Amino acid sequence: MNTESFLLLLGWAGVYLPTALGAIGSIVGCARAGQAAVGALLDVETGYGRLVGVSALPSSQTIYGIVVTMQFNRTVAVESAPGLFSLGLLVGLALLSSAMLQGTCAAAAINTTKTKPEVFGLSVAPAAIVEGFAVFAFIFAMIVGGGIPGGPAS
Amino acid sequence: MMSSSSTDYYMLIASLPFIPRTFEVDQVPISRLRLAERLTLLDEDDQQVVEQVQQFLHWDRQDSERTDADVQREYERLMDTIQNSLVRDIIIHRMDVRTIMSGLRRRRWGLDPPAAVGQYVAHIRKHWQHPDFQLARKQPWIPSVRESLEKHEPLQVERELLRATWNRWTQLADQYYFSFETILLYLARWEIVDRWTRLDPIAGRRRFDTLLQETLSEHARIDN
Repeated sequence: MNTESFLLLLGWAGVYLPTALGAIGSIVGCARAGQAAVGALLDVETGYGRLVGVSALPSSQTIYGIVVTMQFNRTVAVESAPGLFSLGLLVGLALLSSAMLQGTCAAAAINTTKTKPEVFGLSVAPAAIVEGFAVFAFIFAMIVGGGIPGGPAS
Repeated sequence: MMSSSSTDYYMLIASLPFIPRTFEVDQVPISRLRLAERLTLLDEDDQQVVEQVQQFLHWDRQDSERTDADVQREYERLMDTIQNSLVRDIIIHRMDVRTIMSGLRRRRWGLDPPAAVGQYVAHIRKHWQHPDFQLARKQPWIPSVRESLEKHEPLQVERELLRATWNRWTQLADQYYFSFETILLYLARWEIVDRWTRLDPIAGRRRFDTLLQETLSEHARIDN
């Protein structure tokens, strides 16, 4: 494989990495929180809906990843490949870790809420804060990605 | 050792009722039967470790007097068979408590220092005449337990001992979240609550009253 092909490979990977890593993060995060929600169902008599609802919080990272991929989607060239790969990888990693850890925060919220339903709002706050960082990573990937040569595919 | 993936414990831990911050409560947060049912969510390897912990805690709560040789044999057997570091920590802590208590009792009866078992045997022998075996800094529960022993207050002695162990498990539990260690420390604390509720006469009376009321209301429903 010559250098040009390798660069194009990285460029295409960079286009899809935000979606792939965001989705992996969401899978792990939702699985953690979902298992906690299902476990909590064994120990509570009411409020099932909101427990399961909280477990879906780490889904948003996949959506952010899809939007970034749509923004990056273009005919990859040697000039655009390094930028696409660098930004795609970094925003993907940010989305991956935020989704996984948001799943843990959501699981903790579920575990607390089943014993003290009155603190539901407060218990979800850490998960919301983690979401905030994912949003920062998403927005700045869109802004910085605007400077990558080639522009979005029409 | 831990073959389960990291997400496997979320369901089990969330299914366990909140364990109170103190063991001095009227009843256990979950019955033994229900707890055993929930523990079936663990995989086989984890269930084996849990069984080892439960067997040790059961052995530990037996009131029968054991010889130093018995305790030494059991300690060596456990250390040979158990790999999990937290389980070993649980066993070592309980054995240390057992040795220190044995030392306090033996000294009151005018006997020799205990021969078994753990890290403090030589230390106790060396500081045999010191009221707290010069261990009060590491084991801050010793002075109050010694005073209760001297006042012939067996329930208070048991309360102090359970509190010392409870505090240790609670401090350790604060370091873990949704992990296998969380489950082990839940079991260790559940065992203390169970032990206390069986010791405490007032809690026992309340539990009996609750059971009686439940049975009577059940009968009333059937009659109607």
